[in-house]
Amino acid sequence: MTAAPVRISVEHATKRFALGAVTVFEGLDLAVRDGETLCILGPSGCGKTTLLRCMHGLARIDDGRVVIDGAEVHSPSRKVAMVFQHFGLMPWKRVRENVAYGLELAGLPKATIQERVARYIDMVGLRGFEHSYPNQLSGGMQQRAGLARALAVEPDILLMDEPFGSLDALTREILQDELLRIYQLAPRTMVFITHSIEEAIAMGDRILVLSARPARVRELFQVDISRPRTVQSVIAHPRFIPLREHCWRLLREHAA
Amino acid sequence: MTFHRVGVEVDETRAVAIRASRWRRLRPGDWVVRLGAIAVVLGVWELFGPTLNKLILRPPSDIFRAFFELVANGELQDAMGQSFRELFGGLAVALAVGLVLGVASGRWRFVYNAIDPLVSALYSVPSVALVPLIAVAFKSVGDPPRIATVALFAVFPILINTQQGVRNVDRQLMEVARSFNTSERRLWTDVILPSATPYVLAGVRLAIGRGLIGMIVAEFFIGLVGLGYLIISYENVFRIDRMFVPVIVVATMGILMMGFVQWLEGRIAPWLKREQ
Repeated sequence: MTAAPVRISVEHATKRFALGAVTVFEGLDLAVRDGETLCILGPSGCGKTTLLRCMHGLARIDDGRVVIDGAEVHSPSRKVAMVFQHFGLMPWKRVRENVAYGLELAGLPKATIQERVARYIDMVGLRGFEHSYPNQLSGGMQQRAGLARALAVEPDILLMDEPFGSLDALTREILQDELLRIYQLAPRTMVFITHSIEEAIAMGDRILVLSARPARVRELFQVDISRPRTVQSVIAHPRFIPLREHCWRLLREHAA
Repeated sequence: MTFHRVGVEVDETRAVAIRASRWRRLRPGDWVVRLGAIAVVLGVWELFGPTLNKLILRPPSDIFRAFFELVANGELQDAMGQSFRELFGGLAVALAVGLVLGVASGRWRFVYNAIDPLVSALYSVPSVALVPLIAVAFKSVGDPPRIATVALFAVFPILINTQQGVRNVDRQLMEVARSFNTSERRLWTDVILPSATPYVLAGVRLAIGRGLIGMIVAEFFIGLVGLGYLIISYENVFRIDRMFVPVIVVATMGILMMGFVQWLEGRIAPWLKREQ
């Protein structure tokens, strides 16, 4: 794992809002290695989402740079796909059309699109709902569709912006398990933003803890719990409680 | 975990089914109430109207008879042909102008700044006050001034609603589109236009009502033709039963056209039916 090459590196990144009056983060450095899941954990409003948007090229950083596979990021690349906290499904597209969206924009042939849409709808457990509109689905099912849409473009890198943050506890755990299963099927580089300690431990190979704004790297550490995992197996693991306490301490120091 | 999953899936399916039953727009019971309300109004009118004022409140049965008289002598068909030509011509112009200006002003700040004060000013002035101006501008010849009047009455709700629809496009969806590397053309077809559609259709519904008013007003002011002419001429000779025929035709036209737009909405924006 330590030998894996770096896919994404954020170098001395600084982001300010409101004409420079608010510093979201300053001089931030981090690296995401090939095939790993890096969880970024931080208190609400510390700029995690902004950081992820900058990594994707949806927002500009004011200083420093973001590099993916050696190339500086200025705008979204097809190598990268994002799953949004607000799901971001188009209400006027059926599930099938939403999942096909990225593939159509990538200009893939029709047959490929059909095959991939069917495969990924299957993978996230939405078979039978291909023709539903998003508002006919529960939140959990909508996010399954959001996940399928991102997976379908078969991105090298998956950016997850608190994808399960707006779901109820039960649905969240089910989807965490689904994502763990899918990841274990085909590991890919993933950055996972969350404010849930349990989620960070369950999903992450490494956890980066940020401080409150302006966000700084508090600590970066390995989650020494082997895969394959399920949420239950992680919680039952002897390392879970010590890791959780460690995260708690890091977050609480800065939560005030 | 497997157990949970099955449980949740069943639950979700049921939730979908419950919502499905609520989506249906009009149930048979709704129709009973709708038609019943009309029947009650007509019944009261028929029974008590003549006792209040024999001359002015002619009962519905008289109006019904007058309707067939006007059909028999061909007056009504002629007037309807004339009026609907103006109405549909005017609505078509309003739709074209309203959509183009609405989309342009919703998307480009320059266009918005350029037309917004004018639109606000024209929309605030009662459109009726501008009809003489239109008459003069078109030298009161033929249908064009009346078509222009209908267009003037109908254009603002379409323009303003389209503009709002384009401006209110969901920023989060715009970001999703950018995240997937959309082209400008696909941004319009995937995000901006679909999200503006319900606004546009609401604007069209308002425009139909205003367009019908504009049609009658134009016929009163410019040339005296069509259904407006029938209203004025039968009112002048106190044939109130005949005067009511074109009034009811206009009302029926409003109901039918708005119903058509609603049906159209179900066809071109099927996702909306499933809300609420």
